[in-house]
Amino acid sequence: MRKSRNTQHAFVTWITAFVLVLSLVGCSTPTKQTIGQGSNPEPSADPTPAKTLTMAFSWKPASLDPHGSDGWEVLRSGAGETLIKLNEQLKPTPWLAKEWKQEDETTWIVTLEENVHFHNGKKMDAPSVKNSLLRSMTNDPTVKDLLQVKSIEVLAANQLKIVTEKPNAALIAHLASPSAIIVDTETIDQKDSYPALTGPFQFKQFNEDESLVLERYEDYWGEKARLSEVTIRFIADGNTRVMALQSRDVDAAVDIPIDSIELLKQDQNIDVLTAPSLRTHMLMFHMKSPFFAELAHRKVVNMSIPRAEMVNSIMRGEAAEANSPFPDVLPFGKIQKERETQTVDQLMKQGGWEKNREGIWEKQGKPFEVKLVTFPQRPELTVMAEIIQNELLKAGILVHIRQVENIDETLEKEDWDLSMYSMLTAHTGDPQYFLNIFYRSTSLSNMSRYVSPVLDSMLDQLNQTTDQAKRNQLAVNIQKQIQQDLPQAFIVHPNTIFAVRRGVKGFTPHPVEFYYIDARLDVNE
Amino acid sequence: MIHFWARHIAQLLFVIAFVSSLTFFLLRLSPGDPAYLLLTTTGVPVSEDALEHVRKELGLTDSLGSQYVQWMTDVFTWQWGTSYVSREPVLEELLKRLPATIELAAAGLLVMMSVTLVVGISTAIYARGWLDRLGRALALLGSSLPSFWLGFLLIYVCSVQYGWLPSMGRGTWKHLVLPALTLGLGLGTVYARLLRSNMLAMMKQRFVIASKARGFSNSRIFLSQVFRHAILPIVNMAGTSFAFMLGGSVIVESIFSWPGIGQYVMKAISLRDYPVIQGYVIFASILFVIIHLVVDFISVLVDPRLRVR
Repeated sequence: MRKSRNTQHAFVTWITAFVLVLSLVGCSTPTKQTIGQGSNPEPSADPTPAKTLTMAFSWKPASLDPHGSDGWEVLRSGAGETLIKLNEQLKPTPWLAKEWKQEDETTWIVTLEENVHFHNGKKMDAPSVKNSLLRSMTNDPTVKDLLQVKSIEVLAANQLKIVTEKPNAALIAHLASPSAIIVDTETIDQKDSYPALTGPFQFKQFNEDESLVLERYEDYWGEKARLSEVTIRFIADGNTRVMALQSRDVDAAVDIPIDSIELLKQDQNIDVLTAPSLRTHMLMFHMKSPFFAELAHRKVVNMSIPRAEMVNSIMRGEAAEANSPFPDVLPFGKIQKERETQTVDQLMKQGGWEKNREGIWEKQGKPFEVKLVTFPQRPELTVMAEIIQNELLKAGILVHIRQVENIDETLEKEDWDLSMYSMLTAHTGDPQYFLNIFYRSTSLSNMSRYVSPVLDSMLDQLNQTTDQAKRNQLAVNIQKQIQQDLPQAFIVHPNTIFAVRRGVKGFTPHPVEFYYIDARLDVNE
Repeated sequence: MIHFWARHIAQLLFVIAFVSSLTFFLLRLSPGDPAYLLLTTTGVPVSEDALEHVRKELGLTDSLGSQYVQWMTDVFTWQWGTSYVSREPVLEELLKRLPATIELAAAGLLVMMSVTLVVGISTAIYARGWLDRLGRALALLGSSLPSFWLGFLLIYVCSVQYGWLPSMGRGTWKHLVLPALTLGLGLGTVYARLLRSNMLAMMKQRFVIASKARGFSNSRIFLSQVFRHAILPIVNMAGTSFAFMLGGSVIVESIFSWPGIGQYVMKAISLRDYPVIQGYVIFASILFVIIHLVVDFISVLVDPRLRVR
């Protein structure tokens, strides 16, 4: 008995020691970090320590090749630049191209900045820009669609002649597309170095799925970067991004989940910043569906959407009510909302519908019963779908919600009446590309099956008009036509939400989703 | 011995051929156009011309038969195709992420086995005491707490509140602590319960009573007889759990931004990166066969009776 007790005591002692060691290992000295330092700061002998900043991004690039699906991430890193930049009013302004002029309907002369060097020290000139543009069009078919270039000719060391296949008035704006980043094409396939771009930061170390470290490019042609180093950490989970910011593992984070805004606002060391985005959440009508071929029925649904409540509750105030595909921040985005003069009852009764005992509209014994599809990738859309379902039930329409994993594949089929959808509608600040792809009668991306010869001819007119004021007016007219025909009910334009720790300076939220890091970004020492 | 290896290698080749074919056809049946998903990651709409261009480039316009032949050739020439997204060889991409996954799985296994042994043995010794009740409560918590919740809780306490450990990423040993705890704690408490009941059952066996009668010390009986018999099922189960961990712990890797295979494959699934998904399935199959082989060896070492069988 004594022996057994001794064994038990020895065992308890051993366990206690083990737990203590584990606790000491796990809970060692707190790693307090200050703003402007990475997660593992090394003590520096330099009396003026280098200024560094760590940011959390939600998407991670698969490679640093700027021409393809990773172009957006490369531009976001502050390493790349395009010929044209969109300013805060989303107007095309000079960047690597200092000026441009249109010679005729299809010919443009672009003059380049002269003192620009790639990160490998090579001078940027017209032939290198030509090679870069040709490569971007070969590697990314979207760029080919955006630019519609027939030929590029070198006129001088810093001058190019770009000829388009057909009149493309949006060429200059579309040169701001991230996939048209200018790169020294000879450096792309080099295994021992990173692609040489022209931005204020150059690639220092790329750890796939983990982080991208950038350092200041000392020979940058413009205003030098104030930070000596920026580390981008790829954190896909929104909650982890927020906690990384709270725990000081990062100094700034993008794509903050709406649910976390209030929490971050309560933290005195964190500032929440927002910018209107160029995205639109919408409800699409299937124009060939037996229910929504009728304009009156589309109007009933449109009237029943409680946009203001959705902005306040689901979006926590971080969105604007939408009544057109483009947000107000764009010069062609302000569209007057048309007031519906008829009530739901009037609209339905005109079509011969009567309410049954359950309060549901019915015609020839068939109830008004529709299918609404939604998808999980944007969770707020499913919540919106539920609210719409509830509101339509009050209005006398039965809605069955179906969540699908692949929304686009579902929309290609005919088995739906309504669908939640979300699109980035003017990523280059110009309406032409989106309107042509999404609304032209013959386009396969015209998911609503909206056929309108009137709109098609308006689109033709837009494509050929070069005067900016006239283009804006045409874009407004097209949206009024869309508002009238109602192939979609636009719900909200969500904001993009960022959060930075106090002490981070020069971070200006931009409506364009790829201008995150630039030379002005700074931190307090 | 030659027969043993020949049997296992033949088994492995059959498994590879079978799962490669099955995955290939199931993926083609599943919804989602890789070209469309690849071009619309940013949310910008695309034209049919652009889609057709990418489909052709990825070889998706070839007949299903020729795609299958190409794939099987890739499998048995040890190439496993090229990722649609990164345009890099799949095998290279998987191997690049393997060290991070092994690191996390090994640490998770260490936590799991430590908890299993410490809690399992102590609750067996103090059966029906307060420690046993605590062990039961822990097992209940461990089996019912979802790992994502535990992960966020650990980050909140250890990183946000007290700043003891980094909240995410990979680098130093400190980065490993929270993901390893999240991965190993839950399973460890459950296996501890199993070890306890095995040990208690063994203590009633005749050979234990006989050993006591012969005057062997309690600790000797405990370690050389009771524990040795009781641990055998745990080794088998831990082997399977380790194989799952090596296959990539998607949730834990995602919460802690751990750059392992799990996160990589999740992204590949969302973008329908067929070669990566197919390559991963082969990789996981090989892994499971190897782990089971290792577990068989360990079992034979622990239980000599199996050698005779």
